[in-house]
Amino acid sequence: MNSLAAPVATEGTARLLVETVYELSRRAPAIIAAAAREMAGIRLCLHFGDGTHAELRTENSCLIASGELSGNPHVECYFDDRAMRLLFDLERRPVDQLFEGSLDVRGERSTVLAVWRTFQLLAQRASGLRSIQILWREYRDRTPEYWDGKPETAAGAAAGASANGLRLTRNGLQRPSDTGWAALDYLDHRHPEQTDRLPALVGGTLIAKSRLLWDGRKSAQWWKFDAASDSDLMETMLLCKARVRDEIAAIIPQREPKADLYDLMHVYPQREGKGLRPTLTIATCCALGGRGEDAVRAAAAIELFHNGFLVHDDIADGSTHRRNEATLHRAHGIGLAVNTGDALNLMAVDAVLSNLPTLGLGRTLGLIHEIMHMCRETVEGQAIELGWIRNGTVPRRDEDYFHMSTKKTGWYTCISPCRLGAVCAGETNPEILDRFNEAFRLIGIAFQIQDDVLNLVGEAALYGKEPLGDLLEGKRTVMLIHLFRDADPISRGRLDEICRLPRTDKTQEDAEELLDAMRQFGSIDYAIALSNHLAHEGVRRFEEDLAFIPETESKGVLRQIANYVTTRQL
Amino acid sequence: MPAYLKSETSVARARFALGPQGPFPECRLSRDLERRWLHYALLSRDGEFGLVANVALLGPPEENSSARPRMTSILLVYRRGAGWKSSQFNAETSVPQWSAFRQPHSFNSESELRIRSTRGHPAVNLRLQRTSHPCTSQCAPFAGRHHLRWQSETGVVARGDWTHDGVLYPNIEAIGYHERVRGFWGWPEMGGWVFGFANDPALDPSSETSAPPTAIVFTLIQPDEPADAATGSVMLWRSGRLRRHFPRRCVTVSVRGSLDRDRVCHVPDLSNLFGVPAMAPVPRRLVISANMGPDWTMVDFSCDAAARVVIPSETGIKPYSVHELIGAVSVAGSVSGRTFAFDTYGIVEFAGGAGGD
Repeated sequence: MNSLAAPVATEGTARLLVETVYELSRRAPAIIAAAAREMAGIRLCLHFGDGTHAELRTENSCLIASGELSGNPHVECYFDDRAMRLLFDLERRPVDQLFEGSLDVRGERSTVLAVWRTFQLLAQRASGLRSIQILWREYRDRTPEYWDGKPETAAGAAAGASANGLRLTRNGLQRPSDTGWAALDYLDHRHPEQTDRLPALVGGTLIAKSRLLWDGRKSAQWWKFDAASDSDLMETMLLCKARVRDEIAAIIPQREPKADLYDLMHVYPQREGKGLRPTLTIATCCALGGRGEDAVRAAAAIELFHNGFLVHDDIADGSTHRRNEATLHRAHGIGLAVNTGDALNLMAVDAVLSNLPTLGLGRTLGLIHEIMHMCRETVEGQAIELGWIRNGTVPRRDEDYFHMSTKKTGWYTCISPCRLGAVCAGETNPEILDRFNEAFRLIGIAFQIQDDVLNLVGEAALYGKEPLGDLLEGKRTVMLIHLFRDADPISRGRLDEICRLPRTDKTQEDAEELLDAMRQFGSIDYAIALSNHLAHEGVRRFEEDLAFIPETESKGVLRQIANYVTTRQL
Repeated sequence: MPAYLKSETSVARARFALGPQGPFPECRLSRDLERRWLHYALLSRDGEFGLVANVALLGPPEENSSARPRMTSILLVYRRGAGWKSSQFNAETSVPQWSAFRQPHSFNSESELRIRSTRGHPAVNLRLQRTSHPCTSQCAPFAGRHHLRWQSETGVVARGDWTHDGVLYPNIEAIGYHERVRGFWGWPEMGGWVFGFANDPALDPSSETSAPPTAIVFTLIQPDEPADAATGSVMLWRSGRLRRHFPRRCVTVSVRGSLDRDRVCHVPDLSNLFGVPAMAPVPRRLVISANMGPDWTMVDFSCDAAARVVIPSETGIKPYSVHELIGAVSVAGSVSGRTFAFDTYGIVEFAGGAGGD
């Protein structure tokens, strides 16, 4: 999630709000998108008892929190310290604790209610995330104690039990009737979940709720429980990325020729990426009931193919930088780079075949079929784009770009990872696999457009490629297509002249001129609006087409990825 | 057949293989879903090794046919840090199988139980000794005429050799649980259950039979229908005698968290290559509380390692799943004015849950 700028340093209680929104934007974009829908167009100003202030507003589907006030709020709220703490303490009923003057809210009824709904949504959904709970706990630890009595601690309970002369277990078990705590209360309050276990690849990022299976009269079957619709995307992506990176390291041989082949193969995939594809593959497998580990080799195969394609793509495009480092052919020459790309593709085939002993023949054949399709789409997409550049063609319709983009990057970035994950879980029914296509096609195009925008307006250090690299290489982006479509004939002639220059002859000034023209004719704003529309449509299709997948934390990961494109700050 | 196994085959003597009927009705298995089970669950005193074994007889495929009952047996052996190893459903067993129910008065004397996979491991060659009395017969009727009847006995002591992953571990002492089941049920009708036990590992100087000072068994049967068929109970033994039965109204059961699917092994091994339905999210923590008059007990179980036993169903294409969990247990309570508390290892079963179960 490297496109999100860290929040400006803010102090006091305002900092908690700003940090919460920032963390949610990175970890659970679906929650932010839902909150932004509730808050649409409303500017909220918050004043806190410690003298700090914060502003909450929306931009497209982004919820923006900052410690600086820009004026003219629709709703203003004042919380004293006590009221603020009540927001984050679900053990206390605010109505029992609030004092007169602790809370003041001003604004029109409908906007106040919209803000209330927003905070209710944030409180209910965000409080399930362990990382957000940690953030809030740190805040609580920093603030004074406002309560008359402290809740009983496990240590206190243990001391009481010891005084009764009862030999204690390590958990300090005590007679339920002495405490009034039956089995559920014991799990909920006395002994929270142990967190020192190895984390699962997907799952475990939510606060686990205790469930009552039997209360003496009624039974709740142990395998049936309330759905979880969210997850911590960042935590999951880090785990999946690291696991797949380890798998890739194990797949690539450690033998000669090292310097000219295997070392390059080891090093290139380690360059920092987002981890989107591995997470999609593993999360889809888990969402369909499979084991995350069963999808790791398939995810590694996609990454190896992806890296092989990138090496070749950089040569074809004449790119100089990739993920903040020199491209492989710039650092080691074209010959070695082509060979390394070939070897990465070969190892990817090896990674797919290595599923045979664990997944069986049927699923492995299914994986090969999906991989073959993915590769075919990718090379076709690459051919379309390279043809456009070679012939100096700029397509006039956005649909042409959608077609090319879906083939070139959409399949292997979004669609195929999901389908491969589903196959790993044992799902080979084409009708089921096709349910992933449209939602992730739209999301993939939106993602690619956003990436192209970031190449023009984002910080180079965050984006990882050379500034304006897309303009230098003549990449046919939505912005360029819009520019050629909407520019006046005189400007278009000059632009065409620049675009037809070979990359080696293009200067930074030429790229700047193209960028200025895009700004002048509104091409960048057009692309942002278009990506926003596609992203929302993608999320809608996600919810519709994939409604058959049960609501679990794994599906929550897929939902967060789908919403990531709607809340990405450009 | 290996030399150490007796010459009579289990199948040939199937009708008698599980021993006398005991308190259960004396009648032969005549229907396809009629079952008899002997179940063994043992843990070495240090929690290093664990064993779950099941020897089952199933009635003939056609009602009132003269065909012999079908027999299946499976052995799972656990070693800490190395996980579970399992036979297929054709483990070889010594005949007749050891059972406290068929040797009801043989306290302080050992007799043999040998089970091994046809490939040689996992395997156990044990001398078992009963130290406690079984509970009275329990019964759970559900789904019309389907029912499950069982008797439990805690404090079973086992000494002998264990083979895990091809390595022999000799002279291991374990303590555990034995159960005999008789009933008539189909797996889809069964729904699911939660079951577990724990024995206080301390030695009871007052006991003449080396019975654990305290032992506990809990059961929660959760069929799909009828709605009121679900039932739970907690039973408590002291010095080898059943002292308290906390019936359904006195018991609450709660769980939290779920096991990471990647860390639950599927057994038998072949089941990994078939399209078995996804595993249900098996809880990681289990807490049971029971209160009756002045008596009470609480059990807190936390899973360390788990295996999913994929059982072929006789009535459908989708298999049934029994999840065997080993983990730390804390037990505390008070019965008849005497308090008890101990930490040990226990085995818990969560059965059912997977799609189609």
